[in-house]
Amino acid sequence: MNEFESIFREEKNDLKNIEIPEELEERLRKALDHKAVIKKKKYGIGKVAAACLVILLIGYNFDSLAFYSKKIIGYNDVMNGTLKQLNELGRGQIINEKYIFENGVAILVDGIMLDESQLLVFYTIEAPAGKADEMMPMFSLKGFLRQYAPESGQGIRNDTNTVLKGVQSFEAPHFLEKKLELSYRIHEDGKMEEGKITFKIDREEAMENILKTSINQTVKVGKSKIRFKSLLASPTKTVLKGSIQNIWELAQDQIAGERLRLKQVQLKLIANDKEVEKQGGGMRTDMNGIAFHCDYDALPQDLKSLRLEDIRFLADYDVNQVITLDKGAAQTVHIQEQEIVINKIYQSGGNTFVNITSDEDTVLTRVYLLAEEEKIELNQTIEGSYENPNAKI
Amino acid sequence: MEIKLWVKRAKKGEKEALVELIMAQKSDYYKLAYVYLKNKEDALDAMEDMIVNVYENITALKNEAVFYSWSKTILVNCCKKVLRERNRMVSIDTIKEQSYQDNLEEKDNKIVLDAYLSELQETHQEIIRLRYLLDLDYQSIANLLKIPLGTVKSRLYYGMDILQKKFGGEHHE
Repeated sequence: MNEFESIFREEKNDLKNIEIPEELEERLRKALDHKAVIKKKKYGIGKVAAACLVILLIGYNFDSLAFYSKKIIGYNDVMNGTLKQLNELGRGQIINEKYIFENGVAILVDGIMLDESQLLVFYTIEAPAGKADEMMPMFSLKGFLRQYAPESGQGIRNDTNTVLKGVQSFEAPHFLEKKLELSYRIHEDGKMEEGKITFKIDREEAMENILKTSINQTVKVGKSKIRFKSLLASPTKTVLKGSIQNIWELAQDQIAGERLRLKQVQLKLIANDKEVEKQGGGMRTDMNGIAFHCDYDALPQDLKSLRLEDIRFLADYDVNQVITLDKGAAQTVHIQEQEIVINKIYQSGGNTFVNITSDEDTVLTRVYLLAEEEKIELNQTIEGSYENPNAKI
Repeated sequence: MEIKLWVKRAKKGEKEALVELIMAQKSDYYKLAYVYLKNKEDALDAMEDMIVNVYENITALKNEAVFYSWSKTILVNCCKKVLRERNRMVSIDTIKEQSYQDNLEEKDNKIVLDAYLSELQETHQEIIRLRYLLDLDYQSIANLLKIPLGTVKSRLYYGMDILQKKFGGEHHE
């Protein structure tokens, strides 16, 4: 057996000491010289399309799956419930960029949260001289494509007024934006200084939408219709969009002299039988008609039901109606399907009083008195009790 | 050397990256080919054949990290191809070589071993060579030959059993 093993050992040693031919490298290279450069196999168009689709889907899901493993610290007081939860989960992107102004004031961008409805910037202002609250945040955000408007912000300062922590929300940047520049201006003794912090958006760490749906439903409120167009629910907030009038209706009313000026849209968003906290809203009248949006806190993760309740809006209507008043007797007139009762007309101390009763949701804003073809402007309105608003002319 | 990176470059058609990859383990490749073919020229031929094969098929390699075991399997197949051609083409030479080996049998243990090994089935001698001459472990052999681990063990056991009997018997006679 020893002999047998030694034979193996002998050959093994021979192999161990074998010389690698010097020409090996050259021969390998030459063998490849004759080969054409690899060409990728061609697939049919159908297959290419399918492959692209799959990549897009995977890419999209990666976006929604990725989240940051850290949380932004020190913002508990300025975050609402949803943001706090997201921060606890480590959602968001840490930036940690600082700019120090000449007067020693420093601005630090701690992190951002980004989704389809907004970009939130979490910042700290450090003012060693103790004027943190005077360093009012004047932010602007610039991307490659355009500037993004600040939407809302809130902050809280410490007791010594040296540190201010805040959250500023901006319009959601275009999905092609990679790098953003946040500028912050401070004013002191008539001098203005601008600090800039540039950061990259990492869309992998951006947050997905829970729900983006078009509603396209119309609700009749009084004489007008409110159209609800879409609901965008992102992890940071919920935006409901709708319109009151489109451009044609707007034009028709304009011609008829019965314009409607929307002041406020109120509605309650109920998710899982609980009202979602309202955060704000806005409206716009332009070439596209009257559009509005209402912002709410984010929807619960385990969303089962969602409905809108208690829809109402405040608007001014142009009525242009002339009512002949009858001194003494009470009169009932109908304006915009609302019942208005003129109770009493009387004169006192050189003024003429007209006592009018209307429904609680009707307010007469511009009333003129025509006497002998002369227009007398409304002098003053005295709000009575809710049940009985009075108008004095 | 970052293997994955180099493999990716080779996948893009960079011939030099592929040469670099193989040269980084030239000794392993060459010895493997030599164990099968037992001469320099054939070993070099087999390696040339391998690098061309690897170059043509590298885009099919999904996991870059297994480049070495994948390419060595290709080398083994190239060696076997050379052996098959050798058997077919030069059968007369082989007979002559055999007789030449017979003459030296008593003088050179190495040739004695070869002579006995060549009496075994090819599958058995291959595994014995890989295990005892190249010191490869069972798993590496299984990976290289693309056979189950159990098969490696059983082939090795039977091969060694036959070899020992033959060798022992011969030796005691």
